[in-house]
Amino acid sequence: MPEPARAGDLLATTLAALGVLADLGETIEDEWTYVTKLTEMGRARLHAAVPDPGALVPAEIASAIDTLADEAGRITDPHRAIDWLSTLPAIAELALGGGTAGVPPNQPAGGA
Amino acid sequence: MRFQDAARDARAVVYAGIQADPLVARLAALAADATYAQRLMARAVMNGESTGPETWRRIFPTVFVAGAPDLERAEALLAASLEVAERGEQVRSQFRGAFVESLAQVLVARRAGAAAVRRERRVLFDGVASEIHPYDLTVEKAGREEAWDCKWGARGINADVLNQLDDARRHASGEEHALRVGLIVFDVRTSCAVRLSQQTAPRQGTAVVTLETLDALAGRKPGPG
Repeated sequence: MPEPARAGDLLATTLAALGVLADLGETIEDEWTYVTKLTEMGRARLHAAVPDPGALVPAEIASAIDTLADEAGRITDPHRAIDWLSTLPAIAELALGGGTAGVPPNQPAGGA
Repeated sequence: MRFQDAARDARAVVYAGIQADPLVARLAALAADATYAQRLMARAVMNGESTGPETWRRIFPTVFVAGAPDLERAEALLAASLEVAERGEQVRSQFRGAFVESLAQVLVARRAGAAAVRRERRVLFDGVASEIHPYDLTVEKAGREEAWDCKWGARGINADVLNQLDDARRHASGEEHALRVGLIVFDVRTSCAVRLSQQTAPRQGTAVVTLETLDALAGRKPGPG
């Protein structure tokens, strides 16, 4: 079981997994533009989910991100990789709290 | 404007067997009342490599943590999704497509009434050659007709389907009918937006329902989480 981790480290792990999927997806030439744009949007979504890269996040979130990256790394089919490019940022965002990862508990995550 | 059953070719007969599989109906019933997070989990599992439930429970801690909302449904949805994941790639793909259609049928029926919702139907217009591909789902209620195409992922969005939907809408309008047309995509909004941004086919009159907005099909607002 992983220990609490820095939000920025988990972001790096997720971005790396996204990069691997993008490399695989780009091998489908007809989908190059789609894959490139999807990856760009995914990166932006992940960065937005981690407002404070230096903050500590709980062990279960670290475990979720590590396991998610492992699962993405198991994908070998480029078509399935493109499907995963679509899904991975949303899953990571969910685990990271949709922009609340690293926000101290005494600080509102957003909204009025 | 009138609706008609599609002629069944060999592919349609094989696919009908998939559509009738009890697993498809079970998945659709579970997903119909699921949260966004639970539906995202189902998509990931059905598109994933791992078939061990513990992997997915770790990846979705907010869905499976003790005390999470509707944990029993989440576990049942996970089990059913894994049954799809355990099939071979081609069968898995067919199950996923049939699942989205079945889910759409359940949700739309809650708004339009089950009797009005039909599957695999053509829409015919006077003086217009009928389309080759039937619509996955139609609502056949006088004055409130609808035609939907269902997709597992945003990659299914292409010029052919956008043109077919828009043509139907325009032809209906030409006969002074308001036909609501749209795509139901079991994928996230951002991916659909990226896909649509690449298309030059007309889409202004076509509704796009995504993983985040599926509940709108039933006439209700998206639920939390």
